Amino acid sequence: MALLQFCWILIYVNALTIGGGFVMLPMLQKEFVEKHHWITNQEFIDALAIGQVTPGPLTVMNAFIGYKIHGLTGAILAMVSSYLPCIIIVTLVARFYYKYKESGIVSSSFRGIKAAVIGLLASVAITLGSTSIIDPKTLGIAVISFAVIAFTKVEPTFIIIGAGVIGAFYL
Amino acid sequence: MADMPETNVPTVSLGSIFLAFFKIGSFAFGGVYSMLAFFERELVEKRKWLTHEEYLESVAIGQMTPGPPIVNTGICIGYKLRRVGGALVTVAGQAFTGTVVAVLLAVFYVKTKDNLLLRSVMKGVGAAVVGLLLSIIYKMAIKTVTDYRAGFFTVSAFVALAAFKINPICLIIASGIIGYAVYAGKK
Repeated sequence: MALLQFCWILIYVNALTIGGGFVMLPMLQKEFVEKHHWITNQEFIDALAIGQVTPGPLTVMNAFIGYKIHGLTGAILAMVSSYLPCIIIVTLVARFYYKYKESGIVSSSFRGIKAAVIGLLASVAITLGSTSIIDPKTLGIAVISFAVIAFTKVEPTFIIIGAGVIGAFYL
Repeated sequence: MADMPETNVPTVSLGSIFLAFFKIGSFAFGGVYSMLAFFERELVEKRKWLTHEEYLESVAIGQMTPGPPIVNTGICIGYKLRRVGGALVTVAGQAFTGTVVAVLLAVFYVKTKDNLLLRSVMKGVGAAVVGLLLSIIYKMAIKTVTDYRAGFFTVSAFVALAAFKINPICLIIASGIIGYAVYAGKK
């Protein structure tokens, strides 16, 4: 039953994820960590890091979480559930693209959602930050990562791997 | 019914679509823009499966539909080439390598969770992830929050989640509805 619920959460969260993989984070954190207690905040952060360092979309983090909760079946079902709504919606939109584009409903709703998501992500960043920023050293790593990713063109993947190496030596 | 123009390229096999997207999903690390440039080079310039205009249309559809924009762009291209079969194959190809690597890492992670060295590594990684999240928020904000209305959406969503713990799913649906009321008919 828990596995079915896990899949269902991924299906509706992905159907509501507009504007990039990061948009799913506030919803997933709420459902997986706070509501169902399937994983801890720490594990959620680790999954997010894995999703970022692996090639391909961030959604891959769901395979990691799926494995953590239900083993290999969980990982495979996580990927199927994450992509199912995308496949259905995108093929429908591709078919009726011009009608879809003309209808103001979608674009005006998206403008509201895109702006709101920034606030939701900020709230999640605070929650996750209180788990992983525990001393001046971790604060330093967070600040430097922010500055490098926000203001240079360095790939985030390298920053995360670099922070792991620093962690191995100094934390 | 179908108001999308048919493509004039000869039929591309599902296997070759899978391989092309497998390559994209395996070797294109990082940001949206590097991925999109990679798509254009592989699919438009090298393989000539679709025209530049069809490609741009697919990118637009990928960005205005729910789910990861890059995956959605791929679904759209796959659909143009070989209908639903093509769409499925692009997703399988793009997600394959990442999923396999993530599962291998998960196996390792579950087994060595209490290892001290790994714990230290993940401490550093966890702090960097928070920095990454903040930089994503910053980049999204300078692009999206361009007027007071957008700022209102951002601030209210933040307060609703951070202070009142309202379910983010409800907040996303509500902001979609309010977004329609506020922005409909405006450009």
